Amino acid sequence: MSGTGTPAVRPTIAVMFGGRSLEHDVSVVSGIQILHAIDPQRFAPMPIYIDQMLRWWVGDDLWHSEAFKGGGPDRSRLVEVALSPGFGISQLVPVGVAASLRTGAAVGSGLASAGGGAIPVDCFVPVLHGTFGEDGCVQGALELGGCAYVGCGVGASAIGMNKRATKIMAAHYGVPVVPWLSCERSILERGHGWLTEYPERVSQSFGWPVIVKPCNLGSSAGVTVATDAGELIAGVLKVFEYDVEAIIEPFIKNRLEINVAVAGLDEPVASVTEMPVTSQATPLTFAEKYKRQGRKSIGSSEGMAGALRVLDPDQLTAEMRAAAQRYATTVFAALGCEGISRIDFLIDADKNELYFNEINTLPGSLAFYLWSAAPHHWTITDLLARLIDRAQRLRAMKRGLQRKPPPELKLLG
Amino acid sequence: MTEFWPWVPVLSAAFLFLVCWRLLAYLRYFQQEGYDHRRFLRWVNVRSLTDPAFWLAIACAFLFLLDTLLAVVLFTVGAVVLALVQPDPRHSGKIPLRLTWRARRVLVTAIVFALAAYVLLIRVFIDGEVRAPLVAAAAMFALLPLALLLANAVLAPYESGVQRGYYCEAVARLNRVSPFVIGITGSYGKSSSKAMLAHLLQFHAPTLAASGSINTVMGVTRHLREDLVPGHRFLVAEMGAYAVGSITRLCALTPPAAGLITAVGDMHLERFGSTEAIMRAKSELAQAIPPGGILVVNADSPNALRIAKESTHCRVLLYGEQSTEALATRLEDVHFTKQGSRFVLRTPERTYECFTPLLGRPIVLNLAGAFTLAIAVGADPDVTVAAFRTLKPVSNRLETIEDAGVTWIRDAYNSNQVGFRAALEVAADLPATRRFLVTPGVIELGHEQYDVNKALSREAAAVCDHTVVVAEANRVAFVEGHREAGREDRLIVVSNRTDAFKWLHEHLHEGDIVILENDLPDLYEQIAGVFWPTRQKRAAA
Repeated sequence: MSGTGTPAVRPTIAVMFGGRSLEHDVSVVSGIQILHAIDPQRFAPMPIYIDQMLRWWVGDDLWHSEAFKGGGPDRSRLVEVALSPGFGISQLVPVGVAASLRTGAAVGSGLASAGGGAIPVDCFVPVLHGTFGEDGCVQGALELGGCAYVGCGVGASAIGMNKRATKIMAAHYGVPVVPWLSCERSILERGHGWLTEYPERVSQSFGWPVIVKPCNLGSSAGVTVATDAGELIAGVLKVFEYDVEAIIEPFIKNRLEINVAVAGLDEPVASVTEMPVTSQATPLTFAEKYKRQGRKSIGSSEGMAGALRVLDPDQLTAEMRAAAQRYATTVFAALGCEGISRIDFLIDADKNELYFNEINTLPGSLAFYLWSAAPHHWTITDLLARLIDRAQRLRAMKRGLQRKPPPELKLLG
Repeated sequence: MTEFWPWVPVLSAAFLFLVCWRLLAYLRYFQQEGYDHRRFLRWVNVRSLTDPAFWLAIACAFLFLLDTLLAVVLFTVGAVVLALVQPDPRHSGKIPLRLTWRARRVLVTAIVFALAAYVLLIRVFIDGEVRAPLVAAAAMFALLPLALLLANAVLAPYESGVQRGYYCEAVARLNRVSPFVIGITGSYGKSSSKAMLAHLLQFHAPTLAASGSINTVMGVTRHLREDLVPGHRFLVAEMGAYAVGSITRLCALTPPAAGLITAVGDMHLERFGSTEAIMRAKSELAQAIPPGGILVVNADSPNALRIAKESTHCRVLLYGEQSTEALATRLEDVHFTKQGSRFVLRTPERTYECFTPLLGRPIVLNLAGAFTLAIAVGADPDVTVAAFRTLKPVSNRLETIEDAGVTWIRDAYNSNQVGFRAALEVAADLPATRRFLVTPGVIELGHEQYDVNKALSREAAAVCDHTVVVAEANRVAFVEGHREAGREDRLIVVSNRTDAFKWLHEHLHEGDIVILENDLPDLYEQIAGVFWPTRQKRAAA
């Protein structure tokens, strides 16, 4: 990739989005953003939409978010594909005979095509959030195919998705974490004794109020704050709608949230810090939210874009900032992450203490907004090119590993 | 004659182009009405005569007498322009057209029929009049909705074959998984009861319930094929009655082991003809319960209670608030706050202090019914009561949304007077600087519709500072109700929801409450949006 000018055949980069997850829609928005950010001079980007039933689709409609309105894209204009079986093949094959005839027309121009409508892919970019996409499942499928892909591998994804496992890992490397209690869904099969047992355990271990959240979800779904036994039980039950395990932590009353992204280049690099506006706890008034921005329909969040975060907030001391960046790279390295992760911290403003909260191994929009500011001034296009290069080098390295049985393990002659 | 033939291909091409678009627009409503000929015809009425395409064809047919070329150019350009400004029904409106395979089949067949009829009409006129293609076009635009009906009728045998295949597949799946089926019916409250019961039962065992209000055989068939998987222990099925016999058909597909009857009232009186017929339709669920099965019934509803008393073959459990019967669960002490409803459930053995974020007296009563059934099938009562707190309002069913200082009570999917009054009761209980109501009133009440809406209008005038009445269906009744209450100056009349929201956004302040009550489906709105873009769309473009 060091040559100048446009290479004769651009490597095909498949951006995967959608997925069977609460964050399906977020993923579609993020995915289309990333798709358009890939340098078309160097690469041939293509979208892969993974629907709620985990079927994979390709087609030109997937370039635009309008196609997803009103119940998903029109499947008849798409071609269903599957990852070709066999290690190291790295191509998409149409599902069914009729589909193979239409592949060429549906995916349009610019993509290299092998026989039978197969589409060779040089590198995958999963932009899937939450279950089946951020937790190592899709990564596992790509590993089985011997494919190059941007972002964390199976192990880092799986650990990063599990809040309890990440806490243990972070604590092991000396990163401070908030104490917690874990409550597994199987208690529902053991009568109602837990309805009184868990509030008692909370009182004994860290007291009220507490925050209750799902152990294995990345989004804010199922997260509640409880000030008494009734709310705690409600919070735990709410988690059990989505997850098999609830995490209970003391709720830090005077809290600030800060996030740091880390890019897995040859050395993990920490971004600037950001503070989500939601953590500043001043809800916008009706007038502020709607009248100033023109009339947005109720429930539309479009009008809010751009007002969601503050970069390098003034409230943060230089030491705190440096500590967050140091802890972020520590956690990133401890889990063995790749690509871009966003690591979220909590600050107890009363005690002036910083805690690791959670890691997002596939953050929304790949947290690109954290890289465009000083000191990096990286565009998402540059960053993606570097991550794609690295993914291809990693794949080459892994493919070079010995997988053939050595003589002493050859049992079948 | 020499002038005639060169123009036919040009006119026909423009005609065909616009016809395809118009059929697509009509198809959206045909689909929305479940491909039901009578319901679709009721929607169509004389709507096709308001299509500018019809008038364009007529105007050009007369213009032909003066100047042939001008008429041809005008029609061609006009048809293309009309097609281009028509909103794409696949992406517009509240319920966009879903191009399913069935919709495609109907569309293509209808286009073929329309074209055939057009050619036939030209042949009929050909010797007499040079303007034949234009007259034929005008006739076709007026009769276009019939092309869809004809196409659907011709395809009917094929469609029923396809549907039978799906049906068998769904039955096979159900037999393999064999969940405990709970059927729910009632004139109102069945969708929210279904959602609540499924929600409560999920903490007991894996439970499946369709989202929204899927309650037809085809809807349930599709749902079973797509979502029922081994491991599901309960299936909560909503059973809607559109006529006598429709619940029996649903019970044949998903034979219930237990049933819940929420209330039997006068909803959809127009469709049934009499309260007696409604009762007969609803009692089909009770009859489908096997001997010894569980039937939970709202004892506050006299008609439902009658069904319960006739159902001696199964174990009947009653719930209610007002009833003097011996109840399995009695609802007491209901209070509303901005956070939700606080109440007490009393069973013969115990009392339970309860709280739920849901609002409204009928909803809390439905919750008592869901509780009764849940514990009857083995759920832990304490866990079930704890789970009341985790209930989320079914979207647009008395759902409050705090948005930048304004409280929206969204009750758009409610369509009956009981729910209407419940929303007013809640709004009256909550603190607010001013209260607004946006509603088209309630429909399908037969000859009582005017009186019911007038009464609702009067009650709304007592609670709300301003009432915005949408569309024409109940406008007169609302005006009259407000006049009787002496508050005609507080009634705002608008023709569609876009205008209603526009008015609201100009008048709302922090601290206000807005009730959005019974949002009618697109069908009852004015024709804007079918043939040309609505104002909102134009502003966005």
